[in-house]
Amino acid sequence: MKTIFFSGKGGVGKSTLASAVAWQLMEAGNRVLAVSFDPAHNLGDIFHTKLSHRKKRFKKTNLFLQETDLEQSANEYIEANMSLLNEVYSYMQPFNMDSYFNVLKYSPGVEEYAAITAMEKLFREEQENYDYIVIDTPPTGLTLRILALPKITVAWIDRLVKLRKQILEKRYTIHKLSGKYSDKGTKLAYLESEDTVMRKLLDMRARYQNVQNWLAGDKNSICLVFNPDYLSLRESQRLMTGVKDLDLPMHTVYHNKLDNPNSDIAQKVEHDLLKGRSDVTIERVPNMAEPEPTCYIMDKNLIQTFQENK
Amino acid sequence: MHGGKGGVFARIFGYIRFFFSTMDQSHRNKVTEVTEFEVKELENLFVLLLMGSFTGIPSPPSFVAAELLPHLEHEIKVLNERAKNSFDSLADMASLLDID
Repeated sequence: MKTIFFSGKGGVGKSTLASAVAWQLMEAGNRVLAVSFDPAHNLGDIFHTKLSHRKKRFKKTNLFLQETDLEQSANEYIEANMSLLNEVYSYMQPFNMDSYFNVLKYSPGVEEYAAITAMEKLFREEQENYDYIVIDTPPTGLTLRILALPKITVAWIDRLVKLRKQILEKRYTIHKLSGKYSDKGTKLAYLESEDTVMRKLLDMRARYQNVQNWLAGDKNSICLVFNPDYLSLRESQRLMTGVKDLDLPMHTVYHNKLDNPNSDIAQKVEHDLLKGRSDVTIERVPNMAEPEPTCYIMDKNLIQTFQENK
Repeated sequence: MHGGKGGVFARIFGYIRFFFSTMDQSHRNKVTEVTEFEVKELENLFVLLLMGSFTGIPSPPSFVAAELLPHLEHEIKVLNERAKNSFDSLADMASLLDID
């Protein structure tokens, strides 16, 4: 299975191109899943069908569509943690302390966490079921934060694991010297295998490392979509730098909505964006003036680059 | 004489053994006390690092803290204790080093 991310500034045509690529890959004989992670979903509008967080087969073809509900994923995560917190800190309920845990859902980073958790589940569960997963991402800022999250989290967890190891070593020393180690009757763990915190940390590390390996691996491509205008150029430059800093693969950029009147500015934008990036392939997509998005009748072949790398 | 020479030696040997075992126990207690102090400092640091956003220091993504929170009752107690005694941390150190 290969994954293809479509990223770029809002309104440049990420969803349309993601849909067109998904359609063409399916037409070429592949089983394809197109997923939208953009909170302002367009996938259903493009294919003229109502979508939800459940996968839907498109007109008996081998193309499946899905719109991930990030809010629902965030709520599921909060509820799972809340029930565990309420169970452990049940003595706080008379003081209504449990209501304070509710604010967790507004804590920074929960949306990114929900997105990366949904992605991890997708990579893990659908690996055998599809040849390609095409992902329509939210606009640049949120996408960069989502893509950066696994690497940052692994770096933090490594520091926490190191500190936790020191704690367990010291607890083990105390156990050896005095025979036991407890806190007012509660036995404190001194072995890595018995320490719940260490087990949770290592489990989290493995999960995020898997996502990071997938994102940085050769079965993943991050595609940039941009338009022939300077606002799109500046944001695309930030995205390219961000993706490079994270060591993630970006091999294809789509110059979308090209037509004759803007050809001068288009050449300049392309030149500025791809300066020093000989590793990137550029696909030029003409402006489609049809009254509605017609991604599945697009003439241009958009999938050559992915099929070559299959 | 009751017990003879052997009995005297045995008693002396017993006293020596008692002396060394008491000394050993005393050293063990002291080392345990110092290590317990160190471990509490590390536990305090662990929670501080994990929940750094409450104290204004750089912290890991909040969901890492949220996922570990249910298992950190002991460490949070240590953090509270440290916060309560933070105005007198020198006294803590002096008592650990037996300085009157």
